[in-house]
Amino acid sequence: MKFIAKKPREGINVSDEHPLVEAGTLVLGLTAIFIAIALLLVFIIEIALYFVPAETEAELFSDWIPEDLVTVSPNDEQLYQTQLLVDRLVDHWADAPYNFRVEIDDSDVANAMALPGGLIIVTQGLLDQVESENELAFVLGHELGHFRNRDHLRALGRGIVMGLFFAVITGNDVAGLGIKATDITLRGFGRKQESRADEFGLAIVHSEYGHIYQASRLFERWSATNHGASAFVAYLSTHPQPGDRVANLRAIAIRDGWQTDGEVLPLKWDKN
Amino acid sequence: MENLSLFFNFGLPLIVLMVAYFIGSAIEKKHFANIREREDQLHGFPVVSFDTMPDDWNASSSDMVTGSIVISLDYFKRVIAGLRGLIGGRIKTYEPLLERARREALLRMTESARTQGYDAIFNVRLETSRLANATRDGKGTAGVEMLAFGTAVKLKGRSG
Repeated sequence: MKFIAKKPREGINVSDEHPLVEAGTLVLGLTAIFIAIALLLVFIIEIALYFVPAETEAELFSDWIPEDLVTVSPNDEQLYQTQLLVDRLVDHWADAPYNFRVEIDDSDVANAMALPGGLIIVTQGLLDQVESENELAFVLGHELGHFRNRDHLRALGRGIVMGLFFAVITGNDVAGLGIKATDITLRGFGRKQESRADEFGLAIVHSEYGHIYQASRLFERWSATNHGASAFVAYLSTHPQPGDRVANLRAIAIRDGWQTDGEVLPLKWDKN
Repeated sequence: MENLSLFFNFGLPLIVLMVAYFIGSAIEKKHFANIREREDQLHGFPVVSFDTMPDDWNASSSDMVTGSIVISLDYFKRVIAGLRGLIGGRIKTYEPLLERARREALLRMTESARTQGYDAIFNVRLETSRLANATRDGKGTAGVEMLAFGTAVKLKGRSG
């Protein structure tokens, strides 16, 4: 047998597809698939919400409290007054299916949350920043709006959806991009829920006080000091920008012809 | 605020990805050019995979020669391969990497035989092993080693 020297042949083991073409196809394709799955799951959540009445939910979660929540003492004056305020506001919501409970999260970040079973959590940071009862009433009314629209269960469902994605893709830092795209898509839906909750919150404040004066002053203050103040950065991530929000609320007040002047009540506790 | 978060979520990873791609592919291109040039220089040097020496070779001395390379992935390749891992299929970004490793290892082996004065190599074998990464409990891949080895012989009057 004669040895004939040959050069290695090219193109057998290496694909001639451009790496960027493959990258683009994969990134766009997978992102589209993620979003499609997320939307499908969101749809399933809507169906589930339809079949789980609020009464069942209230019963299921009647004593539930998140395990990692650090709450203040049950004898806290602010907690007591906030609970009283919630009870007064709920009077304007005929046949509310929940027995609302308030807890104060001992955190400096200003935020408020609606959780399953009628649990309203406000942070210490928020209570430190409100300056009148009207401001606090609007924040609480907004959370009540979430309960009425059952957004708190949606949020829970979506948390599970995102958790599932992370579980599937754990250890794969890459797919993070697709997950972020999905997250932002879902947040887009969130914004609509926020303005609906705002609308309900404003209506309830109007029923309670007969006007909506200074209901949104907290957000006006935040809007004025926008950028730099990190205390409400977290609030922004789950709630709309304060500036947009104030404009939105003003539009609602004009549309519904609500009284925009009136007496502002002080907070029922000493402000330090 | 929104723009900033968009930048950190999408812009930054994309920039890192692109930088990794451009540097990685420049290195790859240069390496392939270098491989081809050295292959041309070694053209005609018999390197065969028979496990016994061909009958017409008349060897005066022999020795084992090896060539090995340790090569790492760039971030771009890793990311694309990671995405590929979700749906399966050819990991096209790894193929040129391993092709480079194979050809480089064979070249180093052959160059080593030639500098030692050998005329040919037979029983050539290739082996790959993965180098575990210290992070992620050794699950990550720091790189791969490609080892080429064979029996180099000095021929007394090559009839081939």
